[in-house]
Amino acid sequence: MSQSSAAQDFVANVQAPQGAVASLAQEGQEGMGALPVPTRKSERWKYSPITAMLARPLRTATAPEGWPGDVEPNPVPGLDAYRIVLVNGHVVPEACDLPVADGVVCMPWCQAVEEGHLADLDWSGYHRREWVGAVHAAHAQDGMFLHVAQGVTLDRPVLVHHHTTGDQVAACPRHRIVVEDQAHAEVVLWHSASNGATGMVNGVLEACVGAGARLGLDKVQHEEGEVFHLAHEHVTQGKDSTFRIHSMTVKGHWVRNELNAVQEGQGAHTIMHGAYLPKDREHVDNHTTMDHTVPNCTSSELYKGILYDRSTGVFNGKVFVRQEAQLTNAYQQNANIVADAGASINAKPELEIYADDVKCSHGCTVGQFDEEALFYLKSRGIGDKAARALMVQAFIGDVLEGMGQEEVAQEVETLLADRHGWS
Amino acid sequence: MLTIKNLHAQVEDTPILNGLNLEIGPGEVHAIMGPNGSGKSTLASVLAGREDYEVTQGSVDFDGTDLLDMDASERARDGLFLAFQYPVEIPGVSNLNFMKAAINGKREHQGLEPISAKDFLALVKEKSALVELAGRLRDRSVNEGFSGGEKKRNEIFQMAMLEPKLAILDETDSGLDIDALRIVSQGVNAMRDAGRSFLVITHYQRLLDHIVPDFVHVLSEGQIVKSGPKELALELEEKGYDWIKEPAV
Ligand SMILES: Nc1ncnc2c1ncn2[C@@H]1O[C@H](COP(=O)(O)OP(=O)(O)OP(=O)(O)O)[C@@H](O)[C@H]1O
Ligand SMILES: [Mg+2]
Repeated sequence: MSQSSAAQDFVANVQAPQGAVASLAQEGQEGMGALPVPTRKSERWKYSPITAMLARPLRTATAPEGWPGDVEPNPVPGLDAYRIVLVNGHVVPEACDLPVADGVVCMPWCQAVEEGHLADLDWSGYHRREWVGAVHAAHAQDGMFLHVAQGVTLDRPVLVHHHTTGDQVAACPRHRIVVEDQAHAEVVLWHSASNGATGMVNGVLEACVGAGARLGLDKVQHEEGEVFHLAHEHVTQGKDSTFRIHSMTVKGHWVRNELNAVQEGQGAHTIMHGAYLPKDREHVDNHTTMDHTVPNCTSSELYKGILYDRSTGVFNGKVFVRQEAQLTNAYQQNANIVADAGASINAKPELEIYADDVKCSHGCTVGQFDEEALFYLKSRGIGDKAARALMVQAFIGDVLEGMGQEEVAQEVETLLADRHGWS
Repeated sequence: MLTIKNLHAQVEDTPILNGLNLEIGPGEVHAIMGPNGSGKSTLASVLAGREDYEVTQGSVDFDGTDLLDMDASERARDGLFLAFQYPVEIPGVSNLNFMKAAINGKREHQGLEPISAKDFLALVKEKSALVELAGRLRDRSVNEGFSGGEKKRNEIFQMAMLEPKLAILDETDSGLDIDALRIVSQGVNAMRDAGRSFLVITHYQRLLDHIVPDFVHVLSEGQIVKSGPKELALELEEKGYDWIKEPAV
């Protein structure tokens, strides 16, 4: 069977959405027909082929009967947050706890579309650029809509918890966040999946951060089962705004994160930090694009990975400094430890600088654990596992430290410790 | 305490220790001197359990157990300590977390609960006073950005924290200023007792003015070629190593 016919069969059983989303779904359908299905030949997908995903047709992700009893709606102990929860792309209203405050609109994305809160269903144009984006749009479901009015600070973070469960699920959640001028919001994006879950999570998040506004995202992927996870975040930033994301892949069978930030107003600052620690035969791909289009902006990008067993990783960090974007200060660092001989990482920084008066630095390292340091630790009576744990914590410590919610950072550390037997 | 018999060790097929014998009794302080490259640090590393070195012959008994049968952390938990000639910098690991993990490793081995935060801090306070280790150094990452002398002082602080049965000090005096040398020596002397032994590797008599050894050995080409009382160190300082030609029999 050729890849394109596999690609058709792959979503043949998945119903197109009705109602308010239908126009987006229609465009998605067209995109699926017009755009090339990614293969190993396409540069952007070379190291993350989707062949294995396409090989097993998906089913429509049926609306769940409530929230699964064995999953905590709030997976983060001690986190005091508003909450919107989804199973297989569908919002489960009875397990949500939405903010009700002046200047804050927070509701399911579909409801927001119906009530006319979204003038435009799509900002990122993802379905016009990428086949997987078109697959998402053609089957877009529900998600969170968050609008924070000018000058308003959300008093607590909003937790968006997406859970995947079942066989060959097609989950296409879609979120939009608008933080108006001088407003501030913190959001936790948590992804879980049940043991034995299979299929695809293909999500899109669009955010607009207004002038002088701040948006912080703590994103955590902690998925059991064998789910193919495609994520696309697209963020535009106004003058003097700050956008921060921490993208932590604790566990995931196959993950492709695509993150774009576009600075459209002077004085904007972007923080893109992330960590990935795949093991077994897992795959984690982070493709980021930092787009400096105007002068006087800064960005700080830091991704750290530790690859165990036979896992594979990809880091591709594009930084554009457009001709207009004088006095840009862009920093990018990607550091990797390949812990076992069977693991590998493909790391590639890509800087395209068209302005002449800028400060850009980047670094990319791939190495092993420092044996000298390990021996030093062991010579003090620290066992091999504990010694490695100390080294790992030291390595990803600067990523964890910068997260918005301390409780989330703590839980990530706990999950990693459990998973890797450090505790 | 420690009995080394006919120890041969090599690194990547190059023999470095060539039939070394040494016996250290409880409470004794032994000094090892010898030319550069004679194998002093190699001996220390082999005893501490560094895996790059392959023991090809011989045996090492540590307080009744086969030392060579244990890995580095087990040896440490059993009471062996090596103060490194070149302490390692570990960015991101705080000195205190490091020491807490070390102490808890040992306590686990002894079947004890992890140390309480209160007891740990009290211990840190007591031991860092002993070697006058500044608070700012305790709180930083392990050895990161420490001066040479500060690193050495940190080694002795760790030794004091872990209270080993046998401490091997590999050129702990090098890089120390006169005051630091005195302080470090005082720290060592304060820990001397009937049950604790020391193996002090040094090039200079001046350390042995402070830490007075019971025996002095000369290591040359991977063997102990001469042993004697503390006066041997003075003789070596005066005459150098050339006059010792043949291995002692
Ligand atoms: N890891 C290694 N790889 C290769 N050669 C080594 C290694 N470690 C030690 N050697 C060699 O073994 C010999 C003994 O080295 P060692 O460090 O034990 O000497 P030392 O007596 O401590 O010298 P110094 O007084 O200079 O500290 C030297 O020739 C050294 O180059
Ligand atoms: Mg040496």
